[in-house]
Amino acid sequence: MTIPTKALRAGGDKCRPIPSRGSPNRKSAAAFLLAVPMLLGVSLLLGPSGIGIPDMSSPSGEAILWLRFGRFFMGLMVGAALSASGTVFQAILRNPLAEPYVLGVSGGAGLGAALSILVGGGLLGAAGLPVTAFIFSVLTLMAVYGIASHGGSSPSVYSLILSGVIVSAICSSVIMFLVSTADIAGMHTVVWWMLGNLQPGSSSEQLISLLFIGSAIGALWMLAPALNVLTLGREMAHYQGLNAGFVTLSSLLLATLLAATAVSMGGMIGFVGLIVPHVMRALFGPDHRWLIPASAVGGGTFLVLCDAIARSVMAPIEIPVGVVTALCGGPFFLIILRRKMAHAWVS
Amino acid sequence: MHGFPDMNAPALAFRSVSAGYKGRPVLDGVDFSIAEGEFVSVIGPNGSGKSTMLRTATGLIKPTRGGVELFGRGISSLKPRERASLIGVVPQKLESPMAFTVGEIVMIGRSGQGRRWGVPGPGDYDTAERAMIYTNVFDLKDRLFNELSAGEQQRAALAMALAQEPRIIMLDESIAHLDINHSQEVLRILMKINREEKITVLLVSHDLNLAAQIADRLLLVDRGRLVRNGSPDEVMQEELLSSVYGCELRVRRDPYGGHPVVSGALDSLIRRPQVQKRLHVIGGGGTGIELFRRLLIEGFEVTAGVLNRLDSDAEAARALDITCVLEQPFSAIGADSLEEARLMVAQADGVIVGPVPFGSGNVVNLELAVEAQRAGKPVWIASGVHRRDYTTDHAAARMAETLKSGGAVEWGGIQDLMSRLKAYAMTPQS
Repeated sequence: MTIPTKALRAGGDKCRPIPSRGSPNRKSAAAFLLAVPMLLGVSLLLGPSGIGIPDMSSPSGEAILWLRFGRFFMGLMVGAALSASGTVFQAILRNPLAEPYVLGVSGGAGLGAALSILVGGGLLGAAGLPVTAFIFSVLTLMAVYGIASHGGSSPSVYSLILSGVIVSAICSSVIMFLVSTADIAGMHTVVWWMLGNLQPGSSSEQLISLLFIGSAIGALWMLAPALNVLTLGREMAHYQGLNAGFVTLSSLLLATLLAATAVSMGGMIGFVGLIVPHVMRALFGPDHRWLIPASAVGGGTFLVLCDAIARSVMAPIEIPVGVVTALCGGPFFLIILRRKMAHAWVS
Repeated sequence: MHGFPDMNAPALAFRSVSAGYKGRPVLDGVDFSIAEGEFVSVIGPNGSGKSTMLRTATGLIKPTRGGVELFGRGISSLKPRERASLIGVVPQKLESPMAFTVGEIVMIGRSGQGRRWGVPGPGDYDTAERAMIYTNVFDLKDRLFNELSAGEQQRAALAMALAQEPRIIMLDESIAHLDINHSQEVLRILMKINREEKITVLLVSHDLNLAAQIADRLLLVDRGRLVRNGSPDEVMQEELLSSVYGCELRVRRDPYGGHPVVSGALDSLIRRPQVQKRLHVIGGGGTGIELFRRLLIEGFEVTAGVLNRLDSDAEAARALDITCVLEQPFSAIGADSLEEARLMVAQADGVIVGPVPFGSGNVVNLELAVEAQRAGKPVWIASGVHRRDYTTDHAAARMAETLKSGGAVEWGGIQDLMSRLKAYAMTPQS
């Protein structure tokens, strides 16, 4: 006979059996790890020229495959950066709605990138675009934070999101202004870029971006245990012997760098930074040592897949990839919200 | 780290500390020290600076003047990790927005320990496990923290703080919002930690009685100043507390625990408007206490008797300033006191007979009621007199029957009586 413990009684009426952390997660994690290479493979087979491996014997087939590879790596990088960035924002602001778009970070990066494209960021060479985007997104983040806290010590999440939306709107109207005053060629580049597309830039640009994204994700992964503590709030983190200010600042900057680099590479692609972290949290649990790499992989895969869909469903017309992420992501997000959220987020 | 922590130095010392927030000073020259192993409680009204004191003690707020020392070292000179290995804090309510399990939450308590890459070792798991067993949450370790009850969450938060293996545990109103059973459980764990592990406990609380019951020493804070620092007896002074809290308070001694107990003086203050009716209560043996109180609150004038001195009803009547006729302790009611009571009943507008047991000693009290009824006064008699009748000749039961046949109203409980009395007070009578 088992003696009912106090602990069991206290949970009494809502006594649904709670799965222990290990089993369902391990299963879904394994399914995820199997699905990733499959989905990536499938996405390589999709393209406007038809489904399947292009004819490698002809030079055009070879070119098509190389094009697909280029898009593939762009998608991986941008998706990984966006979703890792979203994961970190959500952890630091302790809010499931936080992501680079909501906070105005992407808007700022977009403004920086647009300026760089139109005015010409040639001074910094290949790094010009991401660096300008980064500087602008840091400035926006500071503005958002400043507006939200207006004198008080630490801003509430709601005022943060509200001021993020405001600053975002200002940024996009400035971009509109810039576009309207630009010449035809510039206008075309900016608009095309803003719609979001993963057409690879020059190889040196890609290399710089890879460097930024790789090192930022690596650094964030090192901060993962600290991020776990920070989810309990800054005060608790302080009591746990964490230099909360340093960790918050550095991870915010790293997440901003990721978002800015992603925006400067692929334009405005929404939803990735919001959905993927939630899905990954539902699959792997909230421990950031697993969550950050999982989000990076998941985000990359998701974007690559969305891009493959974008270029093949209405071939030869290509839909902007941001449209696909939103169309796929929205309903999916609602399902996740209803089913699995209890295991990832509460409230 | 030679010679540190210095176990001879006070565990926590405030050296004339002033501290506060941007443009708003809170603490003003607070000076005290706590020896290792003490159980100290900080009390004071809301907004007096208790929580600021705790934040200053943990280095979250830097003092504008003075300094805070932990085991002889200035808190600002400690590395965050050293500080976390000395102080563990249990917050008012630990909030984990993400779905961490209890085990994971407690392991976070080990995260401040110097480890490479934050990878916990077997020692860390052992410590966390011990902390969970100590606080009785080990069975919950795979449950999600957010799905626990408030009491279980608080114990898990305590386990997390204990997993830091601190020398001092600070609690910020951590038990105020718990049910009595959960708060008792947390307190028991705290006492155990304090007595067995010799961990210093600093409990910030606005529950004076709880603080006085378990703490070795109380620090009374008011408007950012430490106004008294001493044993519960020294701090729980009626005048001092009344002036600090800005209301009239009474301090008595708990009859079982011996510690001082403070209570508000509400009973004597808030009464309904006078109804200009005087009721005489026949009680005894504790049956009248609640009756007196309720009648006074409803605005009746109350007299009582005959009661024996030292009877709990007599004590209550004295405390509530109720005029009553008293007989010597443990003796039958004599003719003199009965005569005195008769006069009292004559001046009353009605008589209430409480659910008191009747024996040969006090059965004459019922005669008072019978006489009052004869004089045309209403009588309310608690039902079931025959069950409480210990007279040899059933005199009490017979008299009760007489009363009832004469129109006396039988009442079941206090609530019942009160509604009947309200109706009575409303009807105008000559």
